[in-house]
Amino acid sequence: MRKLAIVIPLILLISACASTKPPNEKLTQVEASIQQAEQVGAEDYAPLEIREARKKLDEARELVRKEKYQKAKLTADRAMVDAELAQMKSLSEKAQKAVRELRESIRVLKEEIQNNIDKQRD
Amino acid sequence: MKFLSTNTFLSALLISVFILGCGGPPQNNPLLMQAEESYNQAENDSLVVMKAPVALKEAEEALEQSQQIWKEEGKTNLVEHYAYIAQQKTKVARETAKLNAAQDEVEQAESERKQVLIEARRAEAIAAEKRAEDALEQVKIERAEAEKARQEATDLAGRLSEMEARQSERGMVLTLGDVLFDFNSSNLKAGANKVVNELAAFLKEYPQRSIQIEGFTDSVGSAEYNKNLSQRRADALRDALVRGGISGNRIETIGYGEEYPVATNMNEAGRQQNRRVEVIISNENGVVTQRTQ
Repeated sequence: MRKLAIVIPLILLISACASTKPPNEKLTQVEASIQQAEQVGAEDYAPLEIREARKKLDEARELVRKEKYQKAKLTADRAMVDAELAQMKSLSEKAQKAVRELRESIRVLKEEIQNNIDKQRD
Repeated sequence: MKFLSTNTFLSALLISVFILGCGGPPQNNPLLMQAEESYNQAENDSLVVMKAPVALKEAEEALEQSQQIWKEEGKTNLVEHYAYIAQQKTKVARETAKLNAAQDEVEQAESERKQVLIEARRAEAIAAEKRAEDALEQVKIERAEAEKARQEATDLAGRLSEMEARQSERGMVLTLGDVLFDFNSSNLKAGANKVVNELAAFLKEYPQRSIQIEGFTDSVGSAEYNKNLSQRRADALRDALVRGGISGNRIETIGYGEEYPVATNMNEAGRQQNRRVEVIISNENGVVTQRTQ
């Protein structure tokens, strides 16, 4: 019982120590994710999500400056999922647009072919 | 008694703790509840389950973390942090599912497009074959027509050669000697009937053809008299044909008199050759080539 009383504060101490380092690597990952999302057209296809990701990244940087590293890490994690959503939403919207265009082109193609057949019958 | 009272006290304490624990279900966190609802909807969506299992699993893990911290009465900001992650991951799962479904559909649509193009080429091929068949049929018809025309021409030539017609640069020309007419007269002799009948039969058989009858004399007598005589003789032949049922519109007559002799007028044999009637047969369009000399 006594041993446990020593171990628990130790664990707490260690986990507290983990958040005394600035989450620089995390921030870099978030930045990269935002860039990836931008590259697939997030500005057009997921403007709200990408804006939210950037906002949270700025907040995380601000928290690092204030040395609130634990909070900064959590904010960066949330920015990360926002960026991921922005990227996936952009890809999904684009793919769905491509499907619509392809379907339309097939419809037009069918129509043209029908017209040609009709013309040849005349 | 003391033991009992201690026991009772402990029991009361335990019960009160129990009541406190159960009493009034703890106010749930609204963000966690939202995340749970979103996740449950996604989990019941077969499209998401099938097309985005990995993202859905990530959402589930974040949700469980949020619930765990909530249960342990951990920090609200951590509960909400993981609830937010779960919420966004659920959205990612939905978008991933839509993306994968769209990509499947693109593949499907592309193969459909190929199929449509193949169908179109087949339709085009069928149309081309039909055009070729039509062209072939047209050639057959034209060939049959040409064959018929050639046969007609052969028949015509045969008929004309029976009438002793000859080919000239003006087409077929039938020369009838003076034996058809009495001397100095434009009356047809009885013996002319055979020629008239043959000519009438020919014109009936070839209704698109017309004729020009040209009369000629020798140089005995005045030129004017001869011209007049030759005209009357040509007219006499025409009248005989009209009586035979041929329309006068198809017959032109000209008297040339002494002109265009075919032999000398210095002896009787030559003069007899010059006394003649020529029947020029038109082409199939009813046009007679006129004399140029």
